[in-house]
Amino acid sequence: MLRKEQNDLLTQTGPGTPMGELFRRSWQPVLLAEELPENECPPVRVKILSERLLAFRDTQGRYGLIDEFCAHRGVSLWFGRNEESGLRCPYHGWKYDVTGQCIDVPSEPAESGYCQKIKLKSYPLIEKGGVLWAYLGPPDKRPPEPVWEFATVPEKHRFVSKRVQESNWLQAMEGGIDSSHVSFLHRGDLHNDPLFKGAKGNQYNLGDSRPVFEVVESAGGLYIGARRNAENGHYYWRITPWVMPAFTMIAPRGNHSVHGHFWVPIDDDTCWAWSFDYHPIRELTEAEVSAMRNGKGIHVTYVPGSYRPSANKDNDYLMDRKAQKEGRYYSGIAGIAMQDASLQESMGPIVDRTKENLVSTDNGIIMARHRLMRAAKALAEKGVTPPGIDPEHQKIRSVAIVLPADVPYKEGAKEALIAKPGVAPASV
Amino acid sequence: MQSESARMASAAEARFRIDASNSKPRAIKVISLDRPSDRVVKRLAEATWNHASFFTASAFAGAPQPGTNFSMTGWLSDVAGRTTDLVNEVDSADLVVMVATAGENASAAAIIGEACSVKRVNTTGLIIAGSGASDEVLSKTLAQLRPWSLMLVIASSEEYIADMLTALRA
Repeated sequence: MLRKEQNDLLTQTGPGTPMGELFRRSWQPVLLAEELPENECPPVRVKILSERLLAFRDTQGRYGLIDEFCAHRGVSLWFGRNEESGLRCPYHGWKYDVTGQCIDVPSEPAESGYCQKIKLKSYPLIEKGGVLWAYLGPPDKRPPEPVWEFATVPEKHRFVSKRVQESNWLQAMEGGIDSSHVSFLHRGDLHNDPLFKGAKGNQYNLGDSRPVFEVVESAGGLYIGARRNAENGHYYWRITPWVMPAFTMIAPRGNHSVHGHFWVPIDDDTCWAWSFDYHPIRELTEAEVSAMRNGKGIHVTYVPGSYRPSANKDNDYLMDRKAQKEGRYYSGIAGIAMQDASLQESMGPIVDRTKENLVSTDNGIIMARHRLMRAAKALAEKGVTPPGIDPEHQKIRSVAIVLPADVPYKEGAKEALIAKPGVAPASV
Repeated sequence: MQSESARMASAAEARFRIDASNSKPRAIKVISLDRPSDRVVKRLAEATWNHASFFTASAFAGAPQPGTNFSMTGWLSDVAGRTTDLVNEVDSADLVVMVATAGENASAAAIIGEACSVKRVNTTGLIIAGSGASDEVLSKTLAQLRPWSLMLVIASSEEYIADMLTALRA
């Protein structure tokens, strides 16, 4: 459980909040690059960390992320015309460049220089790995560009998607480090999903439904190791890294791709669940990409024209009681992503953690909260840079590995936990 | 018309959730396994807890050898230094948390773990590994705790223990 003030601290990420300031110190994924596909394409609304912004790509291909609303009369610039190196408000023709600087106020004489006095709030927006990343923090604290492995491998090695989740970011993220739910909620998918099935590790998973967990602090966050019995006195380990504040990875299976998530607050009631799959040393096959586009693995299909999952709370997530009874889907909901999202959304927008009853297998979640609270406090009180910003913290991998019983996994998997270009992932 | 899931997941509907206790207290016994951990546990015991009690086991002479007979009686001390019966304490526990310091002798884990195993009581091992603890040093402590812990946490500082106990409603 958390006290109410602790729950508020962790779940509120708007401007000026301790957790909001922590998020603002690192690059956040805000758009898929495909959402701004060409110069002078239509602008896109972006809501992140409770701030309403507008992203656009100008005539020169520069990306801009600016206050959504015109400084003149408060019109949404989403209606704007993206033309000649700027975005022009259609109401009275005020025009802004990618930095938010007003560059034309047609009603005022150009020589008055009035437009120089108008500037919308703006943030840096960069493209890396098919994703547009924004930095909403203090300009003088701008960190190095993100180096997460999925964003640095060749384009054909990765697939990235996103979906709206109608819950606070923390209950979504906590699902990403809650290894003990996998043996229940997702058990059907180990047999059936083309992106998981066939791996030897699945046999260990299904043969031992009571794994033992070890939680170890890392420089950037945590490693959560789930240990199951393997042959000849060995253990099968699945190691989930969490990097602060909101990056999680799932241990791989066989030669399938590696995958993980970012959980990025839109506001306090909704978040983006970013999902990525990649393989460090090979291109994804057409069959794999097709499966991902069709909502297999950790991805979803969408309501046309949106990033809202086609199974959502408005259609009861397409609940299938027959499949539930037959064990095809343990909860009756199809697909790993929506199995998680349906339950996390059912908690309500922000779950009341004063009422929960955690058990010892929840130590991963408890430790993550502990570290987030400590980091937010250290940042607010002493300006300490939070973990996860150092590029070395981002060069990380999830691991599935068989180790002798007496070897600590942090030691036995030490090299495997570090992302190294051209090196195959440790996977069983 | 909204689906039932959509309506029931709204903030407005959260107002109608039952406001009543949904659990009974669980007894959590926190036991230090070495001298540095004794000090940590004694500091923890000074705070106010509802359902946690604190003991030290560092006076254990050492772990019994496999196959030898041993008694589990009288091997714990409470924080006031009174000797108490390990089996009785375990018998009345819902969870036993064993606290060890990286590099110290945690052999008492075997005796406590055995008692918990006999009594079917859940165990959590917690190793405090300061920034100076090497992997080798940590490995030795880990090896002593791992066979007896259903959950094992390696924390960089003792602050975590209080947060963990609070989270578990101790």
